[in-house]
Amino acid sequence: MIYSTVIQIIPMSEHDLIVRRIRDGTVIDHLKAGKGIQVLNALGINGSDGNVITLALNVPSAKISKKDIIKVENKYLKDDDTNKLALISPKATVNIIKDFKLVEKRLVSLPNKVERIFRCSNPDCISNSNEDIESIMDVVDKTGLVLRCKYCTRILNVSELKYY
Amino acid sequence: MNDFFQTDIISIRDFNKEKLETVFSATDKIIQMNPNERRELARGKTLGYLFFEPSTRTRLSFQAAMASLGGTSLGIADASSSSTKKGESLADTVHIMSLYSDVLVLRHPLDGSSRFAAEISSKPLINGGSGTEEHPTQAIQDLFTIIREKKKIDGLKIGVAGDLKYGRTVYSLLYALSNYNVDVHLISPESLKIRSDSTYDIKKRLKYKESSSLEEHIDEFDVLYVTRIQKERFPDEEEYLKVKGSYTIGLDLVKKMKDDAIILHPLPRVDEISTDVDETKQAKYFKQAQYGKDTRAALLALILNENSF
Repeated sequence: MIYSTVIQIIPMSEHDLIVRRIRDGTVIDHLKAGKGIQVLNALGINGSDGNVITLALNVPSAKISKKDIIKVENKYLKDDDTNKLALISPKATVNIIKDFKLVEKRLVSLPNKVERIFRCSNPDCISNSNEDIESIMDVVDKTGLVLRCKYCTRILNVSELKYY
Repeated sequence: MNDFFQTDIISIRDFNKEKLETVFSATDKIIQMNPNERRELARGKTLGYLFFEPSTRTRLSFQAAMASLGGTSLGIADASSSSTKKGESLADTVHIMSLYSDVLVLRHPLDGSSRFAAEISSKPLINGGSGTEEHPTQAIQDLFTIIREKKKIDGLKIGVAGDLKYGRTVYSLLYALSNYNVDVHLISPESLKIRSDSTYDIKKRLKYKESSSLEEHIDEFDVLYVTRIQKERFPDEEEYLKVKGSYTIGLDLVKKMKDDAIILHPLPRVDEISTDVDETKQAKYFKQAQYGKDTRAALLALILNENSF
C-alpha cells in the first residue's frame, strides 16, 4: 500500500523558521530538543493514516534555547497521549488547531498514575504474562521521572521503559 | 468492626505498627483460647488455596490454621493437577475458587500475582508468596516470633544473611521491620545483594548496612535471620553453584553468638544451618514455623469475623 503522507524533517536555523501553518490538527510545541522523534514513536505517529506530519528539530526558542516541534494535520491529540508527552518532555505544550485558529492550548502535566503507556521492565511481573491485564504505574517522583509498577511494585526509570 | 474484616492481605507495606500489633495481639488470644471456643471462629467457612509453586509450611499451616478455627479447606496444591495445565488463566481459576470459598490464599511464581488476583476475587485474598516480591504472612510470623522470644523488637540488632536478591521473605521482613527502631545488617555474597529496584521505599524507612562477612558482627546480633540460596530462581545453574553454600551456620559460629540471641529461618533449609544447631537454645526456626500456624489462624479469624474475639 502506498501512503500519500509527507513527513517533513526540517533542520532549522534562527532565520529560517518556515513550518507551514495547519488548518486542522495538533501542534506539539516546546518539546525538549532531540525528543521529537521519540515522541512520534511513543504516540504511534508514523504517517500510515495519510496525514501530513511536520517535524522540526532544534528550532531556536526564547523559552528553552532549542526545541523540537511536531505538527500533525487532521488529528487531535487525546488525553492519554498528552500523558505520554509529559513523561518524555514535561514542558511541552499541545495546541489544538481548528480552521487555522488555536481553539485549545494544553499544558502537559505529569499524571499521578500512568496507565497502559509503558510495559513493566520486570519480565516476571504479572502484567507481562498472558493474563488479561494492563500495566498501571504510579508516578513516585515527578522530577526524576520515577515510576512504580502497581502490580510487582518494582521501581522503574522512564528512560529504560518500552512503550506498548 | 475490626479493620481486617473482609480485607485482602497482599503486601506487608499495608501494615503499620498498629496493624501489626493487632495481629500479634489476636495471635496471643488464639494461642490461649479454649479449643472449643476457637473452633467457632470459622465454623462453616471454607479456605480455598491455590498453590502454583511448591510449598510445605505455608500451605499446611494455612490448612491447619483453618482447621483449628473450625473451618475447612480445599484447593490446588499442584498446578499440574489443575485446569491451568489446560491453559486456563489465573483470573478464571481465581474467579472459580472465589465461588467455592470464603477466603482464598494464593502462591504464584509471578511478581504482583496476588494484587492482580485480588482484583478478580469476590472474596478476601491472602498473598501466600508472589514471585520474588512479597510474602507478607511470613513477615508477620517472623516478627511475632521475635516478639515472643525477645519480648521486644525496638532496639534489637538483626543480621539477615543469605540470598537477599531472590528471597521474597527478606523484602517483606525488611518492610515489616521498618515500623520499628532496629539496627539491621544485610549479609550476602556480592551477586545476591538486595535489589535496588525493590528497596526504594525501604531505604527511606529503615537504616541498614550491607556486608559480605557473616562473622564480622556475629557476636553482636540479637537475631540472626538466615535464608536459603534459592536454586529455582537462578537464571542458570552455574551462577547458583558459585554461591551455593556461601554461608553455613554451624556450632562453631553459634558459640560466638550472644547467649540469648535467636536464629530464625523461613525454611526450607538446605545446608545453611547444620542440623546439630537444632539442639542449641538459639535455634528458634521450628518454633517460628509453629507460630506460622498461629499467626495465620489470627489473620483468618480477623478476616472472617466482623467483631473482635
